[in-house]
Amino acid sequence: MSSTIQAVHCPECISRVSNLRLGVGAVGLILGLIAIAGLLSGGHETFNTNSNLSWGLPVSTYVFFVLTSTGLTFVASLAMVFGMKDFYPIAKRCVWGAVVTLIIGFISLGLEIGNPLRMIWVIPTNFAISSPMWWMGLFYTIYMVLLIWKFILINKGDWDSDQSKLIGLASFVAVIFAHATLGSVFGMMAMRPFWYGPMVPVYFLITAFLSGLAFIMFFINLDYGVDQKNMSEGAARAMSKQLPTIFGVALGLVIVFTLAKTITGLWTNVPENKIVTQYIVSSALFQYELWIGMVLPFLMMLTKMRHDAKMQVVAGGLVVSALFIGRYEYVVGGQLIPMFKGAWFDDLTPYVPSMTEIGVVVLAVSIGILLYAYGDKKLNLSDAPNQ
Amino acid sequence: MAKWGMVIDLAKCTGCQACSTACQMENNRLPGENYQDVLYYTEFKQPTPSLKWFPRPCMQCENPSCMHVCPTKATFKTEDGVVLIDWNKCIGCKYCMIACPYGVRFYTDEKPLIEPNIKDVFKGTGELSWNPPYKGPQQDNAHGVGIQPHGVVSKCTFCYHKISKAPKGTPDLSNENAAVREYVPACVRTCAPTARYFGDLDNPNSEVSRLISNRRGTRLLEHTGNKPQVYYLGDHGVVPGFERPDDKS
Repeated sequence: MSSTIQAVHCPECISRVSNLRLGVGAVGLILGLIAIAGLLSGGHETFNTNSNLSWGLPVSTYVFFVLTSTGLTFVASLAMVFGMKDFYPIAKRCVWGAVVTLIIGFISLGLEIGNPLRMIWVIPTNFAISSPMWWMGLFYTIYMVLLIWKFILINKGDWDSDQSKLIGLASFVAVIFAHATLGSVFGMMAMRPFWYGPMVPVYFLITAFLSGLAFIMFFINLDYGVDQKNMSEGAARAMSKQLPTIFGVALGLVIVFTLAKTITGLWTNVPENKIVTQYIVSSALFQYELWIGMVLPFLMMLTKMRHDAKMQVVAGGLVVSALFIGRYEYVVGGQLIPMFKGAWFDDLTPYVPSMTEIGVVVLAVSIGILLYAYGDKKLNLSDAPNQ
Repeated sequence: MAKWGMVIDLAKCTGCQACSTACQMENNRLPGENYQDVLYYTEFKQPTPSLKWFPRPCMQCENPSCMHVCPTKATFKTEDGVVLIDWNKCIGCKYCMIACPYGVRFYTDEKPLIEPNIKDVFKGTGELSWNPPYKGPQQDNAHGVGIQPHGVVSKCTFCYHKISKAPKGTPDLSNENAAVREYVPACVRTCAPTARYFGDLDNPNSEVSRLISNRRGTRLLEHTGNKPQVYYLGDHGVVPGFERPDDKS
């Protein structure tokens, strides 16, 4: 299958948005560098994490973005693995978006780890196969290599050769394992009941898919100036018909999952789960996440609004914000109860991200925005195969 | 090969914290980051609250979750049953701290628990996180002994720099035996009411084995499956579950 440039009706719109992104990314990069300057001089002491709450905002950001990458790969795979041709017009954007979000996640994690460079040689040489984190590193590395390989192939116009199909399939399988091992990193921690459970990889799977869909609803509409008339016909069809329906179904499933997890948490007799769930539910962030970030967009998707680009941007943006909050609540929530500290810590572990931690996130996201804008300018992301 | 373990008699422990202080001095711990700590609990509520205390070193588990989750095998178990960290392999991911049910692992690069920041007073040189005027054991990064370098996790080593030099076949490392006194872990060495015992759990003739057997030694959080090698004697070896203060719950 050869590649053709799809008839984008408004190339200058894409250019305008890319320029805007370059500007936002550059400003964010400067702000992020200023904010993390403390990291270079003061090290991780500039973080508000501590020996009781070891994983904070940078880790939850990592989880959010690598799972978003997973979701974007799922959507790209609808066309490239499962042959749903209507999704080809957005597939290349999804693959590039998956690469970019994966890089954002890795930057965020890399700046959080004590000795990130040591990781390069110690992890591959020690085969710590009992560690879920080792497997997570292995599968995400394989996934990243395959994803970049796939992008190089489709960037050359090779959408459908045997090699290209095989790489697409392999990257889909790799990311299934990658997200499952990431789920196991948390789900296997029996000593932290808020995280523990065999359903965590499944929860991550569904929320990852939703995360990818929400990114598409938000960013691809922005790419085309929030007007589907500016898209190629194929892209406009996918964005106005199939995607909002799939997005609505995935969102409905995640709402059910969130409610089930919350209600179970409130009624459990495991104090570590109950106390944390009560604490989270009583926060304004959770109320925003549930009602404004999930229920409201779900209701929007039930009406004809789901076909409208502007409404899709609103719904996608709300869901992105809700999922980001959800990841933060999940990662931090599992550590709120101090492990065995007696009266030294007689309440939940307090944690608010420091400016440096926020700076890490701003820096990583800004680099991602710049990379995406670069892709839009140089890599012809609107490309699709000639069907 | 011995399997080193500890017995703590809660009926004899007075909560004086001499063990914590000795451990801090021996292992150059930062203020507030105690490998060995005595935790305090309040049992019952007003008007009859009862203050309890609970000495808590690293449990040196038989089946340590911290070791299993380590993605680099930096956390390992020695042949004589001690869980140690190879600081040369530790990447500072802190997964072990997440996985330890007893909360006995520490990351040095964080805000000081007690002001002023002693690390600013005695600034570290090279890879070391600080540079105290008195340095206890010889630096041994491969066994996680000495001053903690930047970006790694540390923990109680059962004073490995001492016990690893004990004569082979020694059933107990006790203050009462002058021949082995210098190999006794600092917390055991300094315990005034002799509430702590240290010896070979695999040797049926060791005092620790006899105490565990005769007085029904218990282990902490057995349900986690970690199988600690630290046993407790006495009738208040149960730690109450976590509760929020009444005004916040």
